[in-house]
Amino acid sequence: MIVTWSYKERNTFIQRLDPRARIIFMLTAILAIIQTWDFRVLIFWFALAMTAYVLAKLTWQETRRFWMVVLPIITLLVTITALTGRGGEEAYQATHPLFTLPLWGDHVFTISAEQLVFAACQFIRMVTMATFGLLIPFTIHPAHYGVTFKGLGMSDKFAVATDLAFRLVPTVAKDFQTTLDAQRARGYELERKGAGLFQQIRNLAPLVVPVTIGTILSGEDIIDAMDLRAFGAKPKRTWIVELHYEPRDYILIAAGVLLLVATTVAKLLGYIHFWVPSWLIHG
Amino acid sequence: MSERTQEPALHIRHLTYRYRTRETFALRDINLDIQPGELVLVAGASGCGKTTLMRTINGLIPRSYKGGELSGTIRILGQDPAPLRLAEISQMVGTVLQDPERQIVGAYVLNDVAFGLENLAVPREEMLVRIDRVLQELGIPHLRDRETFALSGGEKQKVAVAGTLVMEPDILVLDEPLANLDPASVEEALRLIRHLVDAGKTVLLIEHRVEDVLSIHPDKALFLERGEQVYFGDVPGFLEVVNPLDVKLPADVAVRRLRTMDVPPPPPRRTPDPSADPLVVMENVSFGYVPEREVLHHINLTIQPGDVIAILGPNGAGKTTLVRHLIGLEKPTRGHVWIEGKDTRELSVAQIAHTVGFVFQNPSHMLFAPTVREELAFGPRNLGFDEERIERNVERSLQIMDLTEYADSSPLALSYGQQRRVGIGAILAMESKILIMDEPTAGQDYRHYTQFMDAIVQLPFQAILFITHDLDLAVRYANRVILLSEGRIVADGPPEEVLADEERLRACRLRPTSLLRMNLAHLHRWGRFVPLEMLAQHVV
Repeated sequence: MIVTWSYKERNTFIQRLDPRARIIFMLTAILAIIQTWDFRVLIFWFALAMTAYVLAKLTWQETRRFWMVVLPIITLLVTITALTGRGGEEAYQATHPLFTLPLWGDHVFTISAEQLVFAACQFIRMVTMATFGLLIPFTIHPAHYGVTFKGLGMSDKFAVATDLAFRLVPTVAKDFQTTLDAQRARGYELERKGAGLFQQIRNLAPLVVPVTIGTILSGEDIIDAMDLRAFGAKPKRTWIVELHYEPRDYILIAAGVLLLVATTVAKLLGYIHFWVPSWLIHG
Repeated sequence: MSERTQEPALHIRHLTYRYRTRETFALRDINLDIQPGELVLVAGASGCGKTTLMRTINGLIPRSYKGGELSGTIRILGQDPAPLRLAEISQMVGTVLQDPERQIVGAYVLNDVAFGLENLAVPREEMLVRIDRVLQELGIPHLRDRETFALSGGEKQKVAVAGTLVMEPDILVLDEPLANLDPASVEEALRLIRHLVDAGKTVLLIEHRVEDVLSIHPDKALFLERGEQVYFGDVPGFLEVVNPLDVKLPADVAVRRLRTMDVPPPPPRRTPDPSADPLVVMENVSFGYVPEREVLHHINLTIQPGDVIAILGPNGAGKTTLVRHLIGLEKPTRGHVWIEGKDTRELSVAQIAHTVGFVFQNPSHMLFAPTVREELAFGPRNLGFDEERIERNVERSLQIMDLTEYADSSPLALSYGQQRRVGIGAILAMESKILIMDEPTAGQDYRHYTQFMDAIVQLPFQAILFITHDLDLAVRYANRVILLSEGRIVADGPPEEVLADEERLRACRLRPTSLLRMNLAHLHRWGRFVPLEMLAQHVV
């Protein structure tokens, strides 16, 4: 059974916005964010993302599982970048050593002010983009996915397929849980103490094999079920859900485009650049 | 139109089919004429060709199942479907698949029911009118804006039917629509099917639950065996042709037929041992998945060696949640579950598995190993048994579950019935003392499930507990019945006591069956319920 993301109808300001406008805004925001390493600009985007999160009235309870997966990944990536090199070749050249971490013997690892700010930028960029991304499944009515994708210019067939693919993630998660329970009843434990990496991966087979095979088989059933209900029968299909742009949606799209253009122009003109607070260098 | 109605709704001659990957024919020389407005029951054991017949009628064969060998003629409403596209056939023949979960594609009821109409490019206003009309007709207008995955089994079934009906097909093919429903939902679904037939639809109803279907008076019955048509004709003739050990017939017919047959005696019923130490004690257990909504309230339950317990109750009563507590997958919010004297809060699921073996409903959720042998060794190895003990247990499981010849085959390549045996064998190899099964017989044919359950009750488990919607399963196998409703135990005792109270059964969405009624009528003779075979020997 295809399930949906945990969606709650809240009638918030965010939810009242047209989903197409929200996706367009998210795309413009992401395009603007990936252009910049300026901490001051990133803080602005971060604040905007947090405002949207608060306006959507999402609770930590609901989104906890998302963050439990995403935050460790982001932290890991940022730490690896910071420790393996200076990071951001294109963002800055000069470095100002800030403090050192002792390694072994006389060796030390030097952290520069630039490195530190770069890591902070990287972290905030990823968290901001994840927040914008998170708002999509948690605030778009699952019944509107298909017609939203269609409204963004996808073909009918592709929009229906994307709708289903989008809901595949929570569906697989649910199957995964059932399989985990079934295997635990056979004495299986996900985390084996003292097992090496290779053994740990092998240890996933009792979960991965049934879930993968189940997903393939149910995919075939869904195709049959769609065929039996005339999927693809006509060159153009109709949609039961209708979306209508309101003035506020146009404002949102315009704001997104404007911010994107402004960021791009400001970057070209050199107003936005990698920025290290002077107190960090001289203090 | 008048010309069209003179034609049979379905005309089939010498229909034969072989799947590309199989050597044997799935269907051989099928000949049928079904008139418009007829209700036809299609019966037969698993693998008899029922579903293949459905696929040849709705066009999935040969359009989705390519490369097979198909011969013979089919005419649907006088038309040759061969040149038609699947989308065109789907407007003449509507199909409701066995498992509604596999048919529902929409996230919400409205979207799902609209799916076919959207594909046919029906204008939105007309869609809305047609959908509302169908939902009204099926008595489910209140479900219109509900999420599909949160519906009950019976509701999902109706939504799947609505999604098909809204396309206005003249013929409906229903593949085991009753398999996953509680008895009250079965009654509702059958009433709905009768209503559709009375409104002029031609319905082919593929179903193992023959006794239930007979209650809505099908016009004809088709009986298939290994792809061949054994019988096609009126119902009284059908009742005389089929073997009552293959198909569940009404108890009076079955008893009359069995009397003249030589049948092996059923396994003896187990007797509980009330003096032994209890294996499991549930003490005042309450539980909720979310704090604000409790699903189990003050459950008190003791499982003794010798118990064969059937847990009955409506969908959503908390049966599965209760059973999940016994294996430690859930821990009570209040109260205690003691497994052989230890609180489950202090035990891991793996530790509990030494005592309690839980077989999930669908074997595909657990099978992963390259061979059956390795699959059976997985549990004992997790429990830390030594290699010698593992090997001994695996061999024993292979033997008891009749899987020795498949020991080195991939469990994924086996049939569904064989996979289920692997599932039980895997628990058996763990030497668990209690076997717990969730809906062990759903969607299985009568002969397979009686064979399966006859074998299960003779396995060396100290206690067996199963969840079921099938009252006859409790009548035949259980020595104790627990009725669960709205998270509370409303009755717990011998089946002869618990199942005698018809009013209470109805309140729990259960319906007395003909086997139960006959047993109640003859209770004075044996003082307990007996299987059909025994009734046949003694009841005149």
